[in-house]
Amino acid sequence: MASYQKENGDGARASGARPRARAEGLVAREVADETLVYDLESHRAVCLNKTAALVWRSCDGRKTAKGIARTLGEELGEAVPEEVVWLALDQLGRDGLLETRVARPEALAGLSRRELIRRVSLAAAIVALPLVTSIVAPTPAQAASCVPTGGACTLSAECCPNNVCVGNVCVGGP
Amino acid sequence: MKKLDRLGWAAGLTFESFGARVGLRVNDARLLDALADYLPPGWKRSTSSVVERLYSVYAPPPSRRRGLSGFHILYGDHVRLARSKEAEQVFEVLESELQRHVAETARRGLFVHAGAVGWRGRAVLLPGRSFSGKSTLVTELLRAGATYYSDEYAVIDGRGRVHPFSRPIGMREGAGKRRVTIESLNGAAGDGPLPVGMVVVSEYKEGARWRPREISSGRGVLELLAHTVSARRDPANALSTLERVATRARVLKGARGEARETAVSILEALEL
Repeated sequence: MASYQKENGDGARASGARPRARAEGLVAREVADETLVYDLESHRAVCLNKTAALVWRSCDGRKTAKGIARTLGEELGEAVPEEVVWLALDQLGRDGLLETRVARPEALAGLSRRELIRRVSLAAAIVALPLVTSIVAPTPAQAASCVPTGGACTLSAECCPNNVCVGNVCVGGP
Repeated sequence: MKKLDRLGWAAGLTFESFGARVGLRVNDARLLDALADYLPPGWKRSTSSVVERLYSVYAPPPSRRRGLSGFHILYGDHVRLARSKEAEQVFEVLESELQRHVAETARRGLFVHAGAVGWRGRAVLLPGRSFSGKSTLVTELLRAGATYYSDEYAVIDGRGRVHPFSRPIGMREGAGKRRVTIESLNGAAGDGPLPVGMVVVSEYKEGARWRPREISSGRGVLELLAHTVSARRDPANALSTLERVATRARVLKGARGEARETAVSILEALEL
């Protein structure tokens, strides 16, 4: 359960939300200093860079974003602004890697990702920004060779799924 | 017994390819000889009568082949897959279906929709969807001296090595495809597995020059996974196998222009 408290002098409230990483329904694998995660339910595959992976692994349901930033700082040997953690939490939540998405604190709530990044650079942080790249794994039909919509064909069997060959052109089906 | 099973099937064949077992039956025994060219690379006859999928090819009797209803028909199990008066069209659909089935169900090897060539003891993989120009780029790489592994599927073993999956290259021409043999390109086919030296993720863009950036191993895995046929069936195996590739090879991503120029650049980059 999220709790909120006043923490700093400028009046901004820091979120007390304690994000928890999803554990069920995932296959995870470390590749060099990145982490690959495959969601067995959505078939989304995600690559977390080192920073994003550290944030994800720190989401134990007990630490706040500030606490996670502190953990990252200890791990990386550099001070890590809380904004870095929120950048990661936004992406991790979007890609379904948290049990529940967490809302940013009021002071950061209306900022775009670009603005958040700018704040990180103004803080002279030299930690790598968290990067989360994702794809949705293809079905076998999607991964195989087929003629896409609008392509030339002779038989419907050559067209990609949900397409039929009409007048030697693959057209989308109903 | 379904109606299809009661047709007069004159001959059949069971074969295995990369651990997938398939049956093929025909209503005219002479068809089996003609269809041998369309079986998947590396196929071996099996003595088992138990198959995972059964394809049936029906040819109209000679007396009807010139008539209006002289259709060749292809069934996959009991579903009609293709029907045409032109036998070649149906045979090509059979070829694609067989390869797709093997790619989906293979027990040996991970199938990635990619071109693959060999160069000085290492393989270059060219993952890409249909119409991304894979076959054209593979052809130019062969003309530049690379050995042919596949223009359709890169078959990767548990050690991250690529095995040949050689078939005539299918070059698109209008509504159809032209089959180009390796010999006609003065090329040679690879005959053994190779470790991967480079993965090239690119699509043709008119006027572009190939100036790729190197991406991380993790993102390289994603690029390959996006074209892996059995990704959803066995993601753990897919990730494990692709990791072996992406951590040992350079993964380069960027748009490319003309295939000939790009092929030379790829082989030069492999030497670095």
